[in-house]
Amino acid sequence: MTTVIETVKLSKWYGSVLGLSDVSLKIEPGIVGLLGPNGAGKSTFLKLVTGLLKPSLGSVSVFGEKIIGNYRLFARIGFCPEQDSFYDEMTGWEFLTGLMRLHGYSAAESRRRATHALETVELTKDRDRMIRAYSRGMRQRLKFAQAIAHDPDLMIMDEPLSGLDPLTKRKLIRLIKNFKAEGKTVVVSSHILPEIEALTQTIILIHQGKVFAQGDIHVIRDLIESHPHLISIKCDDPRRLASHFLRAPDVLKIHFGSDGRSLLLETNNRDQFFGRLTAVLAEGRFAVEEITSPDDNLQAVFDYLIEK
Amino acid sequence: MNEPSRKLSVWTGFAASTGRVFSLFFARGRKARRTKVLFAFSFLPVVVSLMLRFHHVLSESRSFDGAYYFSNIIMVFYLNLIVLILALFYGTSVCSEEVEGRTLSYLLTRPLPRPTIVLGKSLAAVLLIAEMVGVSLLFSFLALNFGHLSPVACSRLLKYGGVLFLGVLSYSAFFVFLGSALKRSIFFGLLFSFGWENIVQYFPGSTQRLTIIHYLKSFLPEASSGRFSFLTFRLEATRPLPALLILTLVTAGFLALACLVFSKKEYLYED
Repeated sequence: MTTVIETVKLSKWYGSVLGLSDVSLKIEPGIVGLLGPNGAGKSTFLKLVTGLLKPSLGSVSVFGEKIIGNYRLFARIGFCPEQDSFYDEMTGWEFLTGLMRLHGYSAAESRRRATHALETVELTKDRDRMIRAYSRGMRQRLKFAQAIAHDPDLMIMDEPLSGLDPLTKRKLIRLIKNFKAEGKTVVVSSHILPEIEALTQTIILIHQGKVFAQGDIHVIRDLIESHPHLISIKCDDPRRLASHFLRAPDVLKIHFGSDGRSLLLETNNRDQFFGRLTAVLAEGRFAVEEITSPDDNLQAVFDYLIEK
Repeated sequence: MNEPSRKLSVWTGFAASTGRVFSLFFARGRKARRTKVLFAFSFLPVVVSLMLRFHHVLSESRSFDGAYYFSNIIMVFYLNLIVLILALFYGTSVCSEEVEGRTLSYLLTRPLPRPTIVLGKSLAAVLLIAEMVGVSLLFSFLALNFGHLSPVACSRLLKYGGVLFLGVLSYSAFFVFLGSALKRSIFFGLLFSFGWENIVQYFPGSTQRLTIIHYLKSFLPEASSGRFSFLTFRLEATRPLPALLILTLVTAGFLALACLVFSKKEYLYED
C-alpha cells in the first residue's frame, strides 16, 4: 500500500517545552485516529504534517514529497484546524468561495465547489448569514466544508467532532467514512476514545509528545480494559452494599466516603463488576442515587499504561 | 518547456496568486467595521476645512487663501496623522490579524506561495487607504477652494495626492514588515509614527534623512509660510528624483523583508 504520510524521528520543541519527540511512522490510505489526552502533542503532530510548524529535528513527507515550502501539495490536502476562528465579517458563502478562489479555481468553479461543500455539510440554507451569527456546530461544519471543498486526497482534521451535537456528529462520521470508501486518507485527532472508535480501527496513541502505541483499536482496547477502574456509588447503606463485594475477585479495594452515603470501589474487570452490581441492585434492597466513574477518561488510562 | 517560458509561467502564477489574495481581502476590507470607523476618521480634515470655510463666511472677512490652508492641512492632518494612522492599522494587520484572529492556517494550507499572501494583502490595504485618503482629500480641497477652482489649484491637488500616495505606499510597507516581525507591532508602530517620524524630521543636518516624511516633504512645491511653517521646516530638501528613488527603495525593501519574514517565521497562536 502507498505511504501517504511518513515521519522520520520527528521532534518539536517550543523553547524548552517538548511538543513531540522522536516520532517515526507511516500512514497509509484510510482513516487513522490520533488519540491522546489534551496537550499530548496531537495538534503539534498535525501542524508539523501540514507544514504549519517546522520540525526541530527529523522530517515529514506527504505523498513522497517534503511538506516544508512545498505549497503546491496543498492542492491535495485539506486541513480542518482545531481553533474556532473565522473571518467573522464574511458570510459562510463568501468564506468558502473566497478560499476556493485561492486554490486557483475560476469564479464559476469556486461557486460550484462551495455549493457542493455546503450541501454536504447541510449549511446551504444558512450560506448567506454572517459567520459570527453561526452556532458552534455550524461553525464546525463550515470548517469541515472548507477542508473538503477542493476534493483533497488527504484530509487532516484536528478535533473535528468537538462541540457537535450527537446528530451532527453522526453525520460527520458518516461523511468521513465515505472519504475512506473513495480511497482517500483521513487523519483525525480526538481525545475521546468512542469518537475515534466510531471512525476507525486504526489508531495512534500519543501521550506526552510520544507515540505510545499504534495499530488496531482492539489491542488498545484490551490494554484499556485491564486498567483498574474506580466506581463511585451513592446509596442509603454503603456498608451493607460493600459486604456483597468483599470476596469478589474483581474488586481490588473498597473505600467509604466521609459523608456516610458513598462507596468507592476499584475493579480490574469492569464488565464482571457491573454484572455483579446489577444482580445485587436487582434484588431491590438498596436505594441507589448515583453511580459514577471518576477516572473514566483517557488521561487516567494513559497514566495507568505508562506506570505499567 | 524551455527555461524562459518556465520562468515566465512561474512569475505569471505568482502574480495570479497575489491577485487572488488581493481580491479576497480587498472585498473583505471594504465591508469590515474597522474600515467604516477609519473612513470616518479620515474625514477629520474635511471637518476642519468646512469649519475654516464657515468661519470665513460668518466672519465676513474678504480674503480667504484656500491654497494656503489646503497645503497646511496636507501637512498637519494628512502627512502627520491620517496617512500614518491608516498605514499603521492596515499595514501591521496584514500579518498580525491572521495570527491574533487564528485564521492563518486557512491561508497557509492553500496552494499559494507565502509571499503572495503578504503582497496581495498589502496591495488590498494600500488601495483601501488610498481610497479613503483620496475621497477625503477631494472633499477637503473642494471645501477650501470652492469658488476659486483653477488649473493651478487642480494641479496642486494632483501633486499633493501623489505625495500622499507615496506616503501610503512607503509607510504601509514599513508597517507590514513590522507586523510580520513583531508581536506588539501597533505599539512599536505608534512609537515610530509619533516618536521617530514626528520628532526626528525637525532635527537639523542629515539626521532628518532617516525619516520617511523627510522625502515626502521634499516633493512639496514650497515651504508653507505663516504660523504652521515649522511643520515644513527642512534644512536640506532632497531633490525629487532621489527622494522618489529612496521612497521606492523603502517600499520595495520593507515589502521584500516582510515576505522573507513571513515565509521563514513560525507563527504560534497564543493559548
